[in-house]
Amino acid sequence: MRNKLLFGRSIDTGSWVHSVDPRAKLTGMVLYLIALLVVNSWVALGLATVFSLAYMVSTRIPLKYYAKAAKPLWVLMVFIFVVQSLSIKQGTVLWHIGSWELYSGGLSSGLIAALRMTLLVSFTAILTFTTTPGLLNQGLSGVLKPLRKVGISAERLTLMMGIALRFIPTILDETHKIMKAQAARGADMKELPWKEKGRLLVSLLVPVTVGAFRRAEELVLSMESRGYIVGAPRSEYHLLSWSKRDTGFILSYVMLVAIIVYLRFI
Amino acid sequence: MAITFQQVSFAYDAKNLWRHGALEDIDLKINEGEFVAIAGASGSGKSTLLQHLNGILMPTTGKVQVFDVIMSAGEKTPKLTELRRRVGLVFQFPEHQLFEDTVEKDLCFGPLNFGSSKVEAKEQASKALSMVGLDDSFLERNPFHLSGGQMRKVAIATVLAMDPDVIVLDEPTATLDPQSRAELAELLYRLRRDQGKTVIVVTHRMEEMLPYVDQWIVMQDGRKTFQGSAAELTREALKLEASGLALPSCISYWNQIATRFGLEMEEPCLTVEALAERLERVLQVHDTAEGGGG
Repeated sequence: MRNKLLFGRSIDTGSWVHSVDPRAKLTGMVLYLIALLVVNSWVALGLATVFSLAYMVSTRIPLKYYAKAAKPLWVLMVFIFVVQSLSIKQGTVLWHIGSWELYSGGLSSGLIAALRMTLLVSFTAILTFTTTPGLLNQGLSGVLKPLRKVGISAERLTLMMGIALRFIPTILDETHKIMKAQAARGADMKELPWKEKGRLLVSLLVPVTVGAFRRAEELVLSMESRGYIVGAPRSEYHLLSWSKRDTGFILSYVMLVAIIVYLRFI
Repeated sequence: MAITFQQVSFAYDAKNLWRHGALEDIDLKINEGEFVAIAGASGSGKSTLLQHLNGILMPTTGKVQVFDVIMSAGEKTPKLTELRRRVGLVFQFPEHQLFEDTVEKDLCFGPLNFGSSKVEAKEQASKALSMVGLDDSFLERNPFHLSGGQMRKVAIATVLAMDPDVIVLDEPTATLDPQSRAELAELLYRLRRDQGKTVIVVTHRMEEMLPYVDQWIVMQDGRKTFQGSAAELTREALKLEASGLALPSCISYWNQIATRFGLEMEEPCLTVEALAERLERVLQVHDTAEGGGG
């Protein structure tokens, strides 16, 4: 399980992308998201792909890890492709089964939609690959600060996010441990037929849930005993500092958005 | 020979960026009916070693043989069900694996998985429970409402209920109170003495297992640095302590006395009674010698 799940794990290679301010990375990702939503032609998609690959390479993390990050969502990609290509009826008919017809325009836009989704998922993995959860959270809290004006506490949000992110690997590890313990008692998920697996899932879910609640209670107690109060003014251990490079980082994304929007509306 | 390791190495996440080695080139032999204890600092590979004993982990290189099952790096995994029944593995904090709503159901889980009938499983459950010193009134109780120590005992009983030939425990006494710890060590000793089980236990407190153990294994940084009896352990005490292992005080005590009175060649006395007796004789000889001289 640990081998397969890449989400939320940072990989430290010490590249320059790693040291970019997390607030810049978050803003960049939002801009990237906007750019990709606007993409609707092969030229724009090509441009976005070149841009993405350039950033992926400069993180010095092997490209196959980005591919792996997108892999769990392949069902979604296929779904997007099928829906998109069947619902758009432009160009010539390529294929038809009964009342279903596949047009050339549909095929092209279905492919674009699926590919840009793949690009989006694998590219945003840069964020989690190059930023430790703590920094990511700090960045998020910085980005969300303006929300205080409309009465939303960024601190609560980031505290929840931070705890959730922090506990994903812990709970996975615990699950892994309990799977081993139950395997030692003759309930090996790997060796059993599917029907049995369902029955034995209980032997896994109950202890994991009980464990998660136990952890949550311990966490509350330990936070309270150290005087943690939600919303109280807090200082930060690592201060984020904004440099010219961070501005440049964001500018590259602004340019990407600008060019793609321009391509769309010419 | 119940268990043999031949040049076994193991690495977690062997094929990707997070690879880290946990075992290096382990050679090991454990005979049937032995009481073996494994000591070593945290992260020295003790738990990883244990998980090779019933095929939860497979060696990255080398060969592990347990009874007639051979697990060899790069080869197809053999059928493990029978091995898992014969080698009962109790993980660290085993109380975290309980999941049923009564103790009895949880105890029956293992035996039923290994093909016992319901009646047999219930019998085994009650027998296992009495082994860990809890009576049948616990059978109907909810395991989540027991005290921590009782939960631990029930969890250990869930493995004993499978009636394994080899019982492997990963720090079973951690976080237990002194009395429960002593009881547990005693229980393991009885299993070995009365039922001929092989017992393999990882421990951080060497002194509590010292009176019972036939063979000690010391691990450091994924390597086996020592294997032998308590007497041999005592002789190598200085070397092992230099490498960072905290030895029980009775061993250092004996070594001090042995150096002072020239008893290095003798079998070490590691219990209070034996030591007191030996000291008495030493002091008598000493007195007579001094008396004769004066």
